[in-house]
Parts: sequence; C-alpha cells; structure tokens
Amino acid sequence: MERRHFLASMAAAAAAAQLPLRGSEGSPASRITLLHTNDTHSHIEPFGPGNGQASGKGGMARRSTMVKQLRAAIPNLLLLDAGDTFQGTPYFNQYKGKLDFELMSKVGYDASTLGNHDFDNGVDMLLEAMEFAKFPFLNCNFDCKGAPALAKRLRPWIIKEFPGFKVGLTGVGVDFKGLVSAENHKGVDWISPDEALKPVIHHLRDVEKVDLVVLLSHMGYDLHGDAVDDLHLPKLVPGIDAIIGGHSHTFLDQPTKIQQDRGETHIFQVGWGGINLGRMDFAMIKSQVRAASGRPISVMASA
Amino acid sequence: MRLDSLVPAAILAVLSLACQKAVIAPKPAPVASQAESQNSAPQLLQAQSIGAIQEYVDDPEVMKILSPKQAEIRATFDLPLCACPTGLFRGRNGEENLLGYWVTDIMRARASMILGKPVKFAMTNSGGLRANLPAGQLKVSDIYGVMPFENELVTIEMTGQEVMDAITQGILHRGSEPSSGVKLVLSGTVDKPDFLMTWDDGTAIRPEETVTVATTDYLYNGGDSIPALKKGRRPFTTGVSMRQMLLDACAELAKAGKPLAAPALGRYNIPQELYTAAREHKLGH
Repeated sequence: MERRHFLASMAAAAAAAQLPLRGSEGSPASRITLLHTNDTHSHIEPFGPGNGQASGKGGMARRSTMVKQLRAAIPNLLLLDAGDTFQGTPYFNQYKGKLDFELMSKVGYDASTLGNHDFDNGVDMLLEAMEFAKFPFLNCNFDCKGAPALAKRLRPWIIKEFPGFKVGLTGVGVDFKGLVSAENHKGVDWISPDEALKPVIHHLRDVEKVDLVVLLSHMGYDLHGDAVDDLHLPKLVPGIDAIIGGHSHTFLDQPTKIQQDRGETHIFQVGWGGINLGRMDFAMIKSQVRAASGRPISVMASA
Repeated sequence: MRLDSLVPAAILAVLSLACQKAVIAPKPAPVASQAESQNSAPQLLQAQSIGAIQEYVDDPEVMKILSPKQAEIRATFDLPLCACPTGLFRGRNGEENLLGYWVTDIMRARASMILGKPVKFAMTNSGGLRANLPAGQLKVSDIYGVMPFENELVTIEMTGQEVMDAITQGILHRGSEPSSGVKLVLSGTVDKPDFLMTWDDGTAIRPEETVTVATTDYLYNGGDSIPALKKGRRPFTTGVSMRQMLLDACAELAKAGKPLAAPALGRYNIPQELYTAAREHKLGH
C-alpha cells in the first residue's frame, strides 16, 4: 500500500472512531482542532482577586493541564498563539520573556507570531528570549533585511502534516508606527499584511495544496476604520480558512464568519491574559471545510 | 450491607459512568438534514465533538519550572513600600488623574534634582500608567503594575507656547494627559472652547519664554498623543527609569515615616460636557 493511501485509511479510521460522518461523496472527513491564545502579556500566574471577571482565571500551569487533556482526546490538534506574549507582569520585568517562551515550549505550542509588545525590549532582547522557544514564530510582513538574526528566526509560513491532510500556517503583525519606538524595531520594516499575504496564501493553496490555511494575526479584530484589521483581511486576501487574532484584546463568544471568493473565513480571538483558551474545530472533506465551530474555554480553577 | 442498597449503587455507578462518557464524547451531532433538503452540499453541524476538560489543575511539569521563579518574584515584589491611605487613581470619565499628577510631580522634582536647576513643567501620558495604586500598604509589585515599561526620564527645552500646545493636544487627543507645573481652566463651548493656562503659581505663561521640561523617552521619541513634546530641544536622557524613580519616591516617604498623599484636585478644570466632546474628538480648536 502506498504511504499516501495508508495515511488516508488511517485518517478514515481515526475519523470513524470519533463520530460517524457522511458526505454525499462517501469520503470520510478529516478533522482538526486549533487551540489558541493571544496577548497573554506575561500572565504566567492566574489573575489575583480584585480583577473583576478575570479574578482567579488564567495561569500557564492550568492551561498546560487543559491542553494535555485535549491532546490526549483529540488526534489532530495544534496549539497556537497570536502574539504579545511580553509585558504586563513582574515576570516580564524579571525574566525578559525567557520564562514565557520556556513555559510555552513546555506546554507544547506548535507556533506563535510576534506582537508589538514583543519588541518592548528591542530586537536583541527578543532574540535572546526566542532562544528559549522550541516552536517557530510565523510572520510574512516584517522586512528583516536590517536584522538578519531575526530574519533567520522567523518563518513566513510552515506546513503541518496530519494523516490524510495538510495545514498551512502563516502570521502577520501590526504596524510599528505609534506602537514601537524606532530604536526597538531597528532593522525591521513593516509591510502591509494584505500585500505580504497574497503570495503566501497563493503558494500554500495552489502550490503546496494544503487543505486548511490558518493565519496567526496580531492586527486587531476591528480597528473601526479603513486600517487593515482581521475583519478586512478575508476579502482582501481570499483563501484563509481561519484567523487566530490578537492585539485588540477582543473577547469573542464564537468565531466570526466572513464570506470570501474562495470560501469562508472564521475569525476568532479570546480576550487576553490567558483568561481563555480558544478552540476552533474544522471538518474537511476533500480539502473543503464542511463544518467549523469554535468557542472559548475559560481557564478556571477546579471547583 | 444489604443487597438492595448495593443495586442502586451499581446502577448509579453505571449512570455516572454514562454521564462522564457523555461529557467526553457527547452525542454525535446529526448531519444537517436541512442542508441536504435544500439540495446543497452536505453540512456537518459540528466540526468536532470530542474532547472536554476533566479538571482544572496545575500541571506539575510547568510548576517544576515555575515554582522557584515564583519564589524569586515574591521575594522582590512583595517587599513593602510606603502606605497610601487613599489609593491613587487615574480617574474615569473626566475625573482628575491624581495618579498622573503624582507621577508628573515626581518627574519634575527628580529632574530638577538631577539637573540642579528648576524644571518648570513635566508631562506623561495616561496610557503609560497601566494600573491604579490601591489604598493601603503599597508593595513593589504595585509600582511595577503602574509602570511596567522600561521608559526613562528625559529632560528637554521647550517654549511657553509649546508647553501650552502639549496640554491642548493632550485634551484634544485623549481628553487630557497629566502634567505638573501648569493650571488649566477649560471654558467656552464645544465648538469654541477657551483654554486658559497659567504656571501653577498663577503667573502668566509667556509664549516665547524657554523652560526646562521633564517627560519620558517614549513621548519624546515618538508616542503619538502629544506631538509638541517631540519638538523639544537639547534632550538629556537622565538614565533614571521611570519605575525606579517611583520606587525611590516611595522608599523616601517610607524612610521619613510619611504616607503617600494624593495631590490636590483642581489642577485641570475641565467641564464634563467639554471632556465628553474631547473624548469623542468633537471639541473644536
């Protein structure tokens, strides 16, 4: 049996074990679950009392247990982050982001991207912290010609292979203007994300022929204007199935769906500070998303 | 034990197992017959129905790395500073930003001490003050909460006109940005507001006079709410971090056995209607 067919049959078995599905084509569905966080801002410990709705929620040790439980139950799963891991608690002042990335590696993150605050201590300090990350950082809209060491550490896109299907992942970051001082992003220039994404999405869809395209976006959900944000991106760059967003600290109860020329884009963002773990599920038949759902899971203490 | 008491227990066990199983793998979502009846491609109502969180506990593997760091953080950040009986708040909906007043007062005093000459004015941005100071005994972590950023105290030279521009821009862009050294009374109407500013001793601000001003490297180098500060000349980077400056101020109070007292109200007098208009970018100028 060819490897491809073997993998396909494995996928069928896995899918069948999960729940009976049928399509008129008679093909089994491939399923994937995306778990995600954004703007964790060094909230390594749970929020203390006096933080309103967030009190007692969050914390990386608990998030880790939750992720492990879901990994044990779900065969095809990716754990992702949409940037701004840095800045917000004494942990960042003391450990300069190294502890955040070390713990994210321990929890088993598959990929992340960079937010504006990840540049708060400059490019060199960011690179030092990145030494502690055992996962790739995805970005296709930073021009790092003047910062070759960072260029080496960033991946414009990656592909994750699962039995019977492939997921393409990429990332974009917000404009430095007014957010990051020139000194702190020295050597790194910003390119409009729609411009940078078009060739990447084309490559993933039409050359690599991935079954699902996921964008880690630190652009913000809704900037209430003409500026490119997550709500604008689907129509500007058709072909993205999922946008895992950050920057605007938006608490969504479920993914927002936007129709575009190549299908539907599902945009999700789960607040900030690790209060929630986002979960998006996709079922695909023959490279077509046939079902998608998503919800935030509150990172809380056992009763 | 009586047999009949065992039976319900067994049934209960089965039931609870079933319940538990239902949590792990709820009933498969039905294939959407609605979609099929519309003769379109089959749709699956739910993309994935397995996987549920069983318990929310700390992962020991993470805690192994985290615990020693936690102890380090606690040792430093739980250290007591001075008392702050009233707390200091940034103010909501046009209330005066007493925390901002306190921070800018300290910026002015510290810059004056470093330069050895009077510093007439200090200004920062409220967005850079990330938390309020709670009422009670302050800890090192409270100051980190207010000032997590690695910003430095910078002095510049500005004209009297540029000082007035800076305050005006703060109001037009953000409702107001806190400062020390100037008194402001805003009057007039939304369309035609009247900005009356004097030095805090009541003397007139002469547009052409040159004064020394304290601000942050962030605002001097490119923060966007107060562009007038970027025009400053002869910048001097003090090397004092904004956070260290606040920690030092609290330590001094503690040493003198004094509490941190809130600055007096009335530095900025902005009627509610004009404040609201400014926040909505409707204030004329």
